[in-house]
Amino acid sequence: MTTTVAGVGVGVRDLVTRNVRQSGIFVAFIAIVALFSVLNSDFLSPGNLTNIVLQYSYVLILATGMLMVIVLGQIDLSVGSVVALTGAVAAEVVIKGHAPWYVGVLSALVVGFLVGCWQGFWVASVGIPGFIVTLAGMLLFRGLTYIVLNNISLSPFNGTYYGIANGFLNGLFGGYGIDTFTVVIFAIAVVGYAVSQWRTRRGRIAYQQVVESMPLFVAKIVVVAAVVMWFGSQLARSRGLPIVLILLAVLIIAYSIVMQKSVFGRHIYAIGGNLNAAQLSGVKVRKVTFWTFVNMGVLASVAGVVFSARTNGAQPGAGNMFELDAIAACFIGGASTTGGVGRVTGAMVGGLIMAVLANGMQLMGVGQAVQQVVKGIVLLLAVAFDIWNRRRAEATR
Amino acid sequence: MNERGGAPLLSMRQISKRFGAVEALSGVDFEVRAHEVVALVGDNGAGKSTLARMVSGVLQPDAGIIEIEGQQVSISSPSVAHEMRIATVFQDLALADNLDVTANLFLGHELRENGMLQDGRMEQITRDVLAKLASRIPSVRTPLSALSAGQRQSVAIARTLIGDPRLVVLDEPTAALSAVQTAEVLTHIERLRDLGLGVILISHNMTDVRAVSDRIEVLRHGRNNGSFDASRTSFEEILAAITGATHVEPGLRSVG
Ligand SMILES: Nc1ncnc2c1ncn2[C@@H]1O[C@H](COP(=O)(O)OP(=O)(O)O)[C@@H](O)[C@H]1O
Ligand SMILES: [Mg+2]
Repeated sequence: MTTTVAGVGVGVRDLVTRNVRQSGIFVAFIAIVALFSVLNSDFLSPGNLTNIVLQYSYVLILATGMLMVIVLGQIDLSVGSVVALTGAVAAEVVIKGHAPWYVGVLSALVVGFLVGCWQGFWVASVGIPGFIVTLAGMLLFRGLTYIVLNNISLSPFNGTYYGIANGFLNGLFGGYGIDTFTVVIFAIAVVGYAVSQWRTRRGRIAYQQVVESMPLFVAKIVVVAAVVMWFGSQLARSRGLPIVLILLAVLIIAYSIVMQKSVFGRHIYAIGGNLNAAQLSGVKVRKVTFWTFVNMGVLASVAGVVFSARTNGAQPGAGNMFELDAIAACFIGGASTTGGVGRVTGAMVGGLIMAVLANGMQLMGVGQAVQQVVKGIVLLLAVAFDIWNRRRAEATR
Repeated sequence: MNERGGAPLLSMRQISKRFGAVEALSGVDFEVRAHEVVALVGDNGAGKSTLARMVSGVLQPDAGIIEIEGQQVSISSPSVAHEMRIATVFQDLALADNLDVTANLFLGHELRENGMLQDGRMEQITRDVLAKLASRIPSVRTPLSALSAGQRQSVAIARTLIGDPRLVVLDEPTAALSAVQTAEVLTHIERLRDLGLGVILISHNMTDVRAVSDRIEVLRHGRNNGSFDASRTSFEEILAAITGATHVEPGLRSVG
């Protein structure tokens, strides 16, 4: 009997500490948004919100794949170079080769896939740590980018390819000064969110797990719905629904499902949590490791396409330091530095914190130098908070 | 009846294994029949875990033959062992702290439909299995990091009830357990035997060993050092074999 009570007690405490961690990120995010909206009246304007989405989408795309790599207990330092290489290949095909836009996209994806296979092979089959393999990859693929581009930039893409990162879906259902289609899409998203939260809650109750009280639960849903609908209406007031945002939403939902509901995702968590246990239990560690790196390569090529479309060309130096933004997004979003812990949604919030920080400081005319200092300190504090939090949880156990 | 007379469930003959300069096992014979609990005892470093890990597919012998129901086999990996319906509780438990109870129970053998987890069914089975073991685990969704040592051991043992095994290997399964929990594990072992399974029990606790096992095999310095009928052997005789006070020549072994 006492064991049961103790067990539940730990569960409650665990829930509280985990929520402190999670809500900690959200509170930080909201605080930053509030700060910048006070400091600068343009910050929450429709135009600027649209800008944030367009400007940082590729980091968020990278962070999705990076989160999986980090949960696996690995790291990928090469993604910035892969963004450059895949963008360069697409530019060669579309701009120089005059091929249609989708051929460019496809070639970029194929290159990303091959890059992933290459790195996955060295990590999974040869057993070299991902840190080393992808450090080599960072140099290797940057060099290849220079070779592919012959040391010069290529532009412009224009047309449909350009539209991937700069296009909007609007006017489908008309509207007066505000795009109805965008609003409808956001309304569907809000309803979906509410339903899934409700189902999770009922599941937790069925397992006698702790849930927030009903009024609190409803309040949470209402607040989230209000914020999301407001964000949607701001976009609708500007240029409508960015295509990139749709792509991003699809990726986030798909990869959340992969990580939480699929066998593959479960095995990634198991390998990162206890490699030995995973091996002894018959998890195919090599196979899972290999495909996680392949996935990262493909997502890096998606980011490469989006980035080259956004900049309307390919530059040898494109994507420099993107890997650091993506890695920082994961750790700020609660991923553990030792693997096994982290969520796609957490990495997204982490990425948004970085995005909002950068954008807000830009609006205020803060220079690159100070921006880097601030980003570095935020990353350090986020991880320090995480470690402090975990120590406290262990001490109270 | 047929089973008892026929080929043993597991037969290992002249098994040897070296780790560099350490000769962990040399020329060991070992046998388990269906409906039988065989205890494997010996001092620390005698080679018990090494032998168990060969049965679980973690290690391969340098020399020797392994047969399952008379068929010579190579248990080349833990997955192969699982396919041969061999389940193991490892000495270090081999659990993932970051996953919940259900995920640990099914780790590596998740119920799936088109690559997606069937969480509902897995949780249902987990609850049934834990109820059978009378283990006090707050919820099948509790992360392992929140469990006590005894609860973790219950989860490790519960894993042997997944996937219909015919041979169960338990390496020091009661090490972290209270008296009450130990009694439950011993009852569980007896239940496995009654179901017709073969069980290998590695333990330091002679009382436990004598309570449930049919036969006791002693290892000393990586060699067989006696095989005893549990019901007819005294505590002192077994201890003498473990410490080396009696030395049993391979040819003179009396297989009970
Ligand atoms: N992976 C390994 N590498 C090197 N030596 C090992 C390894 N595993 C076991 N040994 C050695 O083999 C011997 C037998 O170990 P083990 O089977 O764990 O004994 P027991 O379980 O009976 O205590 C010991 O001397 C141990 O140090
Ligand atoms: Mg041992």
